[in-house]
Amino acid sequence: MTDILRSWIGGALPDWVIVLIAYLLVTTIVLFYAVGNFIMMVWAERRVVARMQDRLGPNRVGPAGLLQPIADAVKMFTKEDIVPRSADQWVHLLAPIVSLAPVAMMLAVIPWGRGWEPIDLNVALLYIVAVSAVSGVGLMMAGWGSNNKFALLGAMRAVAQLVSYEIPAVTALLTVVILAGGMSLLELPYMQAGVPLMGATILCGDAAGCSPSLYTTVTSFPGSPGEPVQALDLGLGWWVFTPVGLLGFIVFFIAALAEGERTPFDIPEADSEIVAGYMTEYSGMKFATFYIAQYILNFALSALAATAFLGGWQGPGVAALANMGGPWVHVAAALSAFYLLAKIWVLFFVMIWLRGAFPRLRVDQLMDFAWKLLLPLALVNIVSASLMVGLTQWTSAQWGGLLSLDGFAPWQRQLIAILVTAIINIAAAYWILSINQRPTQEEWIEEELVVAS
Amino acid sequence: MNTLITILFVVFAAFILASAIMTVTVKNIVHAALWLISSFFGVGALYLLMEAEFLGVAQVLIYVGAVSILILFAIMLTRDLEGSQNRQLTPRWWIALIVPAALFGLLIVPTVMTYAWQLPPPPAGQSPAISGAQQIGTAFMREYLLPFEVAAILLLVAMIGAIVIAFEERERRRRVLTLAEQVRLRRQQRQPAPLPEPAATAIQASEATGGES
Repeated sequence: MTDILRSWIGGALPDWVIVLIAYLLVTTIVLFYAVGNFIMMVWAERRVVARMQDRLGPNRVGPAGLLQPIADAVKMFTKEDIVPRSADQWVHLLAPIVSLAPVAMMLAVIPWGRGWEPIDLNVALLYIVAVSAVSGVGLMMAGWGSNNKFALLGAMRAVAQLVSYEIPAVTALLTVVILAGGMSLLELPYMQAGVPLMGATILCGDAAGCSPSLYTTVTSFPGSPGEPVQALDLGLGWWVFTPVGLLGFIVFFIAALAEGERTPFDIPEADSEIVAGYMTEYSGMKFATFYIAQYILNFALSALAATAFLGGWQGPGVAALANMGGPWVHVAAALSAFYLLAKIWVLFFVMIWLRGAFPRLRVDQLMDFAWKLLLPLALVNIVSASLMVGLTQWTSAQWGGLLSLDGFAPWQRQLIAILVTAIINIAAAYWILSINQRPTQEEWIEEELVVAS
Repeated sequence: MNTLITILFVVFAAFILASAIMTVTVKNIVHAALWLISSFFGVGALYLLMEAEFLGVAQVLIYVGAVSILILFAIMLTRDLEGSQNRQLTPRWWIALIVPAALFGLLIVPTVMTYAWQLPPPPAGQSPAISGAQQIGTAFMREYLLPFEVAAILLLVAMIGAIVIAFEERERRRRVLTLAEQVRLRRQQRQPAPLPEPAATAIQASEATGGES
């Protein structure tokens, strides 16, 4: 964007103004993209949940109720803005903004398509984690500023849940950092080129015979470092197809459900217990701001899960189109953006599905789930990820002479790594699940005695 | 570009200072915590201005995401603290002024006196080394291994201490029963009743009627 603007109005304005305008344009586009998706997501959620519950859902405004979000928006805008007399005016006003802004900032580092990334930040994964933690402050402000006990309870629950589920989420993302050797989100889709399970390890025999529609040049994972190689690329070498990526994806997705306050984990706004949690005292546009923040958070977390584990914009045909050069590169970018959007929507559909299928957890179940199940699984997965990197990329010198895999071809090393990590992950998952399913009989009897006496 | 950076620096610095002053002067303790958060944000922005991306993001993650949430939690769980009747100045406020001022002077005066302020500009055409995850990881595992391990042990000890405290508290606390468990418990209590003492019967009867009404 900056380059295009420079070529158009390069001489007329100072460079920093051009950069500023370019980034403002990019920001506007990304925010409109997210809000457009938000509108569709609200409609889709209502329709799909209705379908699952054998209802019709919104079906009056427009075809199939498609214009219902617009009617809702008009209602929200024209509603009276009520602030409780005992509320803290400024904190009450700022809370929705503080909870929406970090969520919007998360969108800045996600590569929305091949070559369509707003910012290349080399600590992008850490940035997303840091920024999403800030929204907890907004929830706290909402709960405290409302001066309402339900709001305060909801805020406490929300922040406790956010803080404890951040740990499994970050630990699951650490496997991605280990696999990628860095925290940049920009590189992740490129690294997930290739074919399922094997990644980009099936190399081209002779350089002349490989068609550019099937083979692409790969530099980093997992071929020889630095040296570009021609690898078979169907755009399907997503990490979710490997044992490490699969376990990481499951842990991260569950933790993302909790961070986005989706239904099995919607304890903070459990409407049958504490009205609407921290949103109790909000009406009109302020309530809508919380609503938008929540859905865009789900959108951004789905995009992050898709980028980190499901290949991001990577998909069949993207690399082939990009290799054709010329205007086809833009077609490839559009196709890749479509792939990412499709993955986000699939993940969002799973979220709706879970909402239709599961009841709400209790708080102690929530904490047990995070600390006794997700965190150990994620920790084991880090060991597996390190082994995966070691087995596929390290030379015998890096292993310190313990293990020499230099003689094997990349695909053989990948196969060895997948077998080893699969054994570790399956054994660990089986063990941790069996520990968690063991009933705690002794504790029961003791507690009943305490209450009965 | 240089003047722009200077302007941004002045803006951020003024923002940090203003937030910090508001933190210590504001009466309401929750407002003080919120101003502290905005001050933390300003420091993170300064780090970003210096192109220390990792440091800036870590500042936001640790201070805004963790420390201040902990502070807010602590304040909200102890509601008696807030209120405008809190005194801001103790009778011996001048001691509290002199000691930090002297310590700060001890740091700042030698720095100002001896530091070479005119740094040579970096050689042109050579991009400065941006600290990424790999460099930081290598530094932690090679040069700064001992401080890293010491900090890790310190944090581990703190964590174990927190767990121990929480466990002691938990032993004294009864679990909140669900409705089904309460019903079952009440049924169990009503079933045996092998001719207890009169006082105990009265209590149990009142409990039973209280539960049914």
